[in-house]
Amino acid sequence: MKIILKYILTNVKERKVRTAVMLLSILLSTMLLFVSFSIGVSYESAQRKMAKGMAGSATVSVCAIDSSIDTNDIPDLSSIRAKVGMLEGTSLYAESGYYETVDLIAANLSELNQINKPRLLNGGDISDFSGNQVILPERFTSKYGIEKGDTITLQISGTLIRFEVVEIAAYDTVFLRHTRGATALLPLTTLAGLLGQTNGYSEILLESTEDTQTYELINQLEDALSYDEYRVSEIVNEAGITADARQKSMPFFLISFFSLTMSIFIIYSSYKVITLDRLPIIGTFRSIGATEKNVTHIFLSESMLYGCLGGLIGIPIGMLVLKMILHGMGQSLTQGIEIPVVISLPAVLLSFCVAVVVSLLSAWLPIRRASRLPIKAVVLGIVEEKHIPRRFIIGVGVVLFVVSAFLPKMASGNMLYLAGGFSLLGLISATILIIPLVTNLIAMGLERLYGLIFKNEGRLAARNMRDNKNIAQNITLLFISISAVIAISVVGNFVTTYISDVFHGAELQGFADGHMEPGFVAQVENLDGIEKVLPVHVFENKIQGNDITFSRLEATYNLEWHSSMFALHYTENAMQGYSISSFARERSLILSENCMERTGFFIGDTIILSNGDIEKPYLVTGSFKSRATDVEAVISSTYAISDFGATAYDFLAYTAADPDAIIVQIRDLFGDTSNWSRTVEEFNTDALSTVEAFLEPMHSMTYFILLLATMGVINNLLINYIQKRRTIAMYKSIGLSNKQNMKMILIEGFTSGLIGSIIAIFVSYMEIQTIFIVAGPKISMVPELDAWTFLTAGALGIIVTLLGSVVPIFKSRKMKLVEEIKF
Amino acid sequence: MKTLIDNIAIEGKNIVKDFGLGDTTTRVLKDVSLKVIQGDFVSVMGQSGSGKSTLLYILGGLDAPTSGSVFINGTDISQLGDEKMSKIRRQKIGFVFQFYNLIPNLNLEENIMLPLLLDGKKMRAYKKQLNYILEVVGLSDRRKHTPRELSGGQQQRVAIARALIGNPEILFADEPTGNLDSKTGAEIMSLLRDINKERGQTIIMVTHSLEAAKSSSRVITVRDGVIQ
Repeated sequence: MKIILKYILTNVKERKVRTAVMLLSILLSTMLLFVSFSIGVSYESAQRKMAKGMAGSATVSVCAIDSSIDTNDIPDLSSIRAKVGMLEGTSLYAESGYYETVDLIAANLSELNQINKPRLLNGGDISDFSGNQVILPERFTSKYGIEKGDTITLQISGTLIRFEVVEIAAYDTVFLRHTRGATALLPLTTLAGLLGQTNGYSEILLESTEDTQTYELINQLEDALSYDEYRVSEIVNEAGITADARQKSMPFFLISFFSLTMSIFIIYSSYKVITLDRLPIIGTFRSIGATEKNVTHIFLSESMLYGCLGGLIGIPIGMLVLKMILHGMGQSLTQGIEIPVVISLPAVLLSFCVAVVVSLLSAWLPIRRASRLPIKAVVLGIVEEKHIPRRFIIGVGVVLFVVSAFLPKMASGNMLYLAGGFSLLGLISATILIIPLVTNLIAMGLERLYGLIFKNEGRLAARNMRDNKNIAQNITLLFISISAVIAISVVGNFVTTYISDVFHGAELQGFADGHMEPGFVAQVENLDGIEKVLPVHVFENKIQGNDITFSRLEATYNLEWHSSMFALHYTENAMQGYSISSFARERSLILSENCMERTGFFIGDTIILSNGDIEKPYLVTGSFKSRATDVEAVISSTYAISDFGATAYDFLAYTAADPDAIIVQIRDLFGDTSNWSRTVEEFNTDALSTVEAFLEPMHSMTYFILLLATMGVINNLLINYIQKRRTIAMYKSIGLSNKQNMKMILIEGFTSGLIGSIIAIFVSYMEIQTIFIVAGPKISMVPELDAWTFLTAGALGIIVTLLGSVVPIFKSRKMKLVEEIKF
Repeated sequence: MKTLIDNIAIEGKNIVKDFGLGDTTTRVLKDVSLKVIQGDFVSVMGQSGSGKSTLLYILGGLDAPTSGSVFINGTDISQLGDEKMSKIRRQKIGFVFQFYNLIPNLNLEENIMLPLLLDGKKMRAYKKQLNYILEVVGLSDRRKHTPRELSGGQQQRVAIARALIGNPEILFADEPTGNLDSKTGAEIMSLLRDINKERGQTIIMVTHSLEAAKSSSRVITVRDGVIQ
């Protein structure tokens, strides 16, 4: 045992470069895996924090149906750890005609501190908080250039009231929100006075004890409180948050998938070379009595050493990187959300296990093969590679590629995820099988061309690429790396757009949210440069369909414009034309897919719409999904006016040659009337400042994937050199000069990079199709693929390969010919 | 009138070769000098570690002496840079190795033509020469095969053909029969003998085999780094 350990350690020490590359590959992939696992969890935690917002550690909310509620109304239950009464109101902040909704909250500070203590920027506690004082989040103050001690004016119930900004708080705890606008904390007595609500609160937030589940507390409260007077609800929908966070974490898991694939390939190819390198030693071991098992054990122990070391060093480095990424974000996050560093034990264990298992498994195949070789063949150095018919390999590759490309298109429901996973792995595996054929074909085509351009060296370089396993291996790794970078960039960019640009694909360029009479709309229609104006009647929680209340029902006079303005994606294409014609001739409505799922309505159903006074039958003619609006149902304005007495409009969308100029004029038209008017660009800038924090890590991680890819390519070029040095020496012994050698290596490098890039661009396009087919049912947005991303990644692949070629060029310059070719 | 000096194909003067092994340095060649006349077939013999192969590689320009000089046609090749030395390897020297050293993924024709291709020559222009060489080594019917499809003896014939294609002044051979069975070895030696006689090709060959050495016109024995 001691001698084996000594042998392993000697190997590790003697092969310094090889050991370094192997270790670095395992270390980097372990680190990347750990960071991508942890960042997903951190992300989810931040999402949960954001969704909980002002609730903090509270999980249940109780409010009275018709009046206010007092903390004394809550029964004295042992399952309640803390409670706080929240008083809530709303106000408007206006600056140069730009209105911002500011939600007002107030609470007993000692109670609030137990559940969700506000974090002041100066680090202190809130004291002497009374009168017309306000605490604002920094995200709001920095936006408007407000400083501590300044006075601001808020419009509350139509009255302008001045407040002194006594403290500025971090944008978290009670100030955190997942909707637009801002939250301001007022002294309890001040807000109570302003709202005229001297007794009780708007709602009571409750935190359960550690051993109590949220649903248990809800059940106990519902039993104790009268259903006619109180409503008990869960503050956040945990399942919803998890689902949402998963969607946003998608790029990170994609990063994990690719980094794992790359690691397996890097370690596998390294071990293939190591075992080849050590065949004489294997022969010696076997000839003096070592069994197949002994040889396998010796080599596996070495790979385990690499795995353990890679894991032990990679995880702490991963922790540092994670902290750096999240801290880096924290710096730019004074206006955003702080993402906590969550280091979970499962992530640590999983990353370590993956490092060891991947290292062992990747090494096992070549080691097993080497240990099973006939002793005579190994000792005499006459080992021949097992020959598998090329046609069979290519046939399997082509079939696997076709199946992988089409499977996700045919699967549905839960099978879709399975098909998606199979497709991603299948596309990569199939491509690996086909690469030697593609390389041969391209190299054959290039032979003549290179002969003309680069003379005999070019022709020989192209000829050398044919039937060359090292080159095929290089192209394979390059393809995996480039397709990883492309897929991650595209999905990352998509998530950025998805999160920050809810109006993506929608025609509207600006909107006004406020009370608008027909005359107002006519004035907007007459503004210079205006193109389309779409006024909308809005009914929020006012219309029921078969007794189910629609959270938002809109009425439009032009469904065609409405569909394009808000990017309504109809479930079936034919639904749009049918609904437009139906809107013109009869009472009909279209429903969002979410609404249909919630209510159980179907296309073709006739449902009774009612505002409490009037009931009318409406035919469901279509369904849609849209990210630009959270509307549940849309009807025609004609019937909204005749049936439900709609007169004024509540929302207006427009397009214009200069949307900014129009929004200024619209704000002018509103004057002192409260409104929330924005151009889409302004809205997106606001939204982006909130989610910027979430998007930054994705970009950082892409660089790490690139680093791993570069490591892999250099590792492969090194392997390539090790395997090729004898061939280079042979060439040099018959007259190849260093200059010619450099020319040939660069041509080979460039061509490998080119072939790898072309294959990667094609396969990553297929992978992206799969990813979006799988994610498709959940997203109401068609991804746009930017050719630039593909081309840049391809060019990067070529550059990395060319840079990597420097190693064999320099190494072969110093090569001792006799040592390489003598035996 | 040609003088003896004009007829010298290669000359080694005071060749010293040291190998460093850890902290110690071993002198493998100790002030060796020799001359080989054009058209000579010289066998270099000696025990393992005597320095015979090292001498061959230094004479052939694959290794550099620690001190001393090697002259080919009056040019001191030990002073040449990579570019000029490579040109000499392509045009003036042919090498045959014990383990053939053929490029595995190139076919027989391409392997043979390599020195000319590296010299910027067009393959088409040397078709006749290629056919002739292939006939000399008896592999005309195998021209499109790759090395792995040939036997050891056939691979060594390809290596000889490659060494001869550029019509070099000197052919170096390092134990050309060392990896072959006796029958094939005899065939290879017969081929080298024919080449030496018919083409007047200068050959310097390292061998362990007395049988092989019988083919040569002169035998040099190296012992402990010195020519006996």
